[in-house]
Parts: sequence; structure tokens; C-alpha cells
Amino acid sequence: MTRIQFLWSKVRAWLGAKKRAISVLALVLVLTFPWPARGQLLDPCCSLLAAGLASIQAALTNVVGRALNRILTVDTSINQYEQTVVWPANLIAQAQSLVAVLQGNLRQIQTLSRVPVGSATLAASQQLEQLLLSRNPNNIVQTSSAYTALYGALPAPTATSPQVLNRVDMADATAQAALKRAIEIDALADLELQAANQLNQSIQSAAPGSAPIIEAQADAWLMRAHAYTQSATADLMRLRAIELANAGSDIKLGAANTTSLRQALANLLQHQ
Amino acid sequence: MHLWYAVFFVALAGGVFRVRSGKKLMALTLTGALLLSFVASPLPARAQVQNGILGSIQAVLGVINGLIQTALVAINNVRIALSNLEQIVVWPQQLINQARGQVLLLIAQYRNLMWSLLHIRLHSATLPAPQAFEVLIRDHQVNNFSALSTAYANNYGLVPLATDANSSDRGLTDMDDAMALDSLKVLKASDQATDVEIQTADSIENATAQAAPGSAPFFTASAIVSCISSQALTQRMLAAELRQEAAYLAHRNTLLKENANNTNLLRAVLVNLLQHQ
Repeated sequence: MTRIQFLWSKVRAWLGAKKRAISVLALVLVLTFPWPARGQLLDPCCSLLAAGLASIQAALTNVVGRALNRILTVDTSINQYEQTVVWPANLIAQAQSLVAVLQGNLRQIQTLSRVPVGSATLAASQQLEQLLLSRNPNNIVQTSSAYTALYGALPAPTATSPQVLNRVDMADATAQAALKRAIEIDALADLELQAANQLNQSIQSAAPGSAPIIEAQADAWLMRAHAYTQSATADLMRLRAIELANAGSDIKLGAANTTSLRQALANLLQHQ
Repeated sequence: MHLWYAVFFVALAGGVFRVRSGKKLMALTLTGALLLSFVASPLPARAQVQNGILGSIQAVLGVINGLIQTALVAINNVRIALSNLEQIVVWPQQLINQARGQVLLLIAQYRNLMWSLLHIRLHSATLPAPQAFEVLIRDHQVNNFSALSTAYANNYGLVPLATDANSSDRGLTDMDDAMALDSLKVLKASDQATDVEIQTADSIENATAQAAPGSAPFFTASAIVSCISSQALTQRMLAAELRQEAAYLAHRNTLLKENANNTNLLRAVLVNLLQHQ
């Protein structure tokens, strides 16, 4: 402690002796030390900078701001037009609710198409009719046996002429094919009605932009349905063509039989 | 710079502390101050305000007035063109209203006319039994099939009893009746379904009169779906027609088979008869 006090007294004595020199050095230090300069950017008094910033502000306001406002005006107009004229939300909601109402009509049609219409009363005809109205393509294989049970088998080859046998076989084949096609087309119609229901449900939850996609698929289904209708119409036409052919065959067989009869009578008269 | 300043300052301090004379101290101090000022003086600064910042501001203004303004004007022109395209070419309000008016015009022009055409009374029977039957086959109802069967039997008779006809003839008759009745029942259901289809078409057409371009696709899609359903109904009718026609052909074919068999039997009888003579 006494040593520190001793040193402090020595320093004070030295400082007191060099007071003039220390003052001069302090003055020189203050006057010549390279103090850090103040940043110009933070200097509020820089009028040139202020003027420049004001020019930028004016340019942003007049050039950028006005141009953006003009764009905003056009965009607002487009937006308003699209929302009120092109895609009004209330009309879209109305359309969706109408589609929901139409779903009821589709279900009604589906129910009507499945009304049981069976009418046969005897065993053989009932069995064939049940198969024909089953709308089940798995039953097609049983159709031929049920058909034969009701309409009879092909006569024995010795029972009649080959022409008649051919005609009978062809008529049976066409009739059976038509009956099988009827089962098939009923099953297809069931699936189409099912798909129509599903498509209509999709439309209810569609957006104006996605509805055309469902519409395209519905168009594809419609084309397919037309194709099925055409195939059924084709079988109907085949049936009628065979009926017409049978009518023609009646005349031809009649002519042949008449000729044979004439020949037989002539032979008989010659023998007498 | 600060290192040199410190070196010179220490040297000056050493000199100052050693000098005793006032004149020497003054001379040393002035010399030292001069040297220190020289050492501490900063390098001449570049005029940033004039050459740097001002240039930058000019550059920014150039970008705003040039590039940005040009881009914004171009964007605005595109948006105006898009707006015009939508309002004049793609979805012109006038043509939208015209289309809606056209829908209403067609409704007014055709709907009642077509309704009355479809509902012209076609009933033509004159006797009580056919009249009753005709009413039933055209009433669009599916809840009176038993009455239909009765009316059918009243007009066309019942299947012969087992004592009155052979089993083949009874089977043919029953199947003919069944196919005819099935078709008539299918037609009653189809008639009712047709009514529903027309209701659907009317609803869609009514809604179209108030549709917007954005809501019309819903009606188009729904109308196509209804067309699929309509095709399915047509197929049901075709299936009934196929069954009916096939039954008719099969019936005639059975007669042919029976003729062949009967002829065969007759031939055998005649041969036996001739042999006995």
C-alpha cells in the first residue's frame, strides 16, 4: 500500500514538472489526430442527395404508380366482367342445383327401366321368359336349351327336305341370336343408366372449367350407347331379313312341290 | 496511417519532454504538429456525391423512365387487348343476351306446338273391350299391369286348356302372349320415361335461357348424360322388339317343324295303308 502511494506521489510529481509539455502534446494530439469522418449518406444536409431521392419518388409516383393504376383499372374491369358476365357465381350455383334436381329424373328413369314385365304362365315359356328378361349375360348359355324346350328341336334329316331343314335351322339360329342379343342389350342399358347417374353426380360437384371434361366423357359414353343401339338394330334387321327370306322360300317350295305333284299325277295317269 | 501517426507522436513526445527552452519547445511543437498533420491527413476523397450517388440516381431514374415504364405500358396494352378480346370477341355481352333471347324465342315458338303434337289423341278402338285395352296400353302408367293382362285376355283370349290343345300349341300361345304383353308393359314404362325425359329437356332449356357462358357447360354435360339415359331406354325398347320378333320367327319355324313331322307321319300312315291293301 505504501509502495503504491509512493509511486503515485512520484507520478504526480513528474506530471507537475512536465505540465507544460503535456499540455502542448495534448493540444497537438487534439489538433492533428485523424478523427473518423462523418458519413455523407447519413448527413441530412446533403441537398443533392435529397433532390435525387425526390426525383426518384416523383418518377415512381408518376411513371410506375400511374402505369400500375391503369393496369389495375383494366384488371378490375376484366375481373368484374368475368365475375358478372362470364362466370357469375350465382348462375353457376343455380346450374349445379338444377343438375341435382335432374338426378331425380335419372333415378326415376332407371326405376322405370327395371319394372318387372314377366307375363308367361306355363312352365316352359316362363323359364325362357325369365332368362330373356334377366338382364344377366351369364344366362345366355342357358337360352338355347330353354328355346328348344319351347319351340322344338330341328326335325330329323329324314323327316324333310334339306332345303326345309336349312331354313328351319337358320330361322332358329337367328331367333336365338336375337334373344341372346336382347339379354346383352338389356345388361348394357343397365350399365349405361348406372354410368349416367355417376356422370351426373360428378357434374354437380364440377367447376365450370372441369364440367367440359365430364361432358367429353359423357359424349364418349353417348357414342358408345349409339353403337350398342346400332348393334341391336342390326339384329332386328337380321330377324326381319330371315322372315322375308322365309316368305320367299314358301313360294319357292310351293312351286317345287307343285311341279313334283304335277309329275306324280302325270305318272299316275300314264300307269292307268 | 495510424501507425505512422503513433510513431511520430511518440517521437514528438520524447522531444517535448527533453526540451527545456521555450523557443525550442515552440519550434519542436510546430514542426511535430506539421509532420503529424501531414501524416494524419487523409487521402484526397473522391467526390461521391457528384460522381457516385448522383450517377446512381440518374441510373435509377433511367431504369424507371425507360425499362419499367416501357414494360408497364406493354403490360397495360396486353391487358387492354385481353379485355377487348373477352368483351368483344369471346364473350360479347350483346351476343350472350341475344343467345338467351334466342332460347326464349325457340321455347315460345316450338314447345307448346310440340307438346300438342305429342299429345294428339290416337285412341281409335270402337268396341268396349278394345277400347278398354287401348286406354291401358296408352296410359303411361306402370302400376296397372294386372289390368292390362286382363284386358289383353278379354281381347285375345286365354291360353287353351291342356284338354283343348297339345302342349306345343299351348306353349307357343303362351309365349306369344307373354312376349306381346312384355312389350306392351315395356312400352308403358318407356312412355312414362319419355315424359320424364321431356321434363328434363324442358328444365335444361329453361335454365339455358338464363345461363352464362360459365354455367352453360353444366347444362351441356347434363343434357348429354340425359341422352345416354335416353339411349339406354331406346335399347330397352329394342330388346323388347327383338324378343317379340324372335318369338314370332320361332313360332313360324315351329309350325314348319311340326309340318315336317306331320308330313313324315302322314307318309308313314299312307305307306302302311297301301301295304295293307
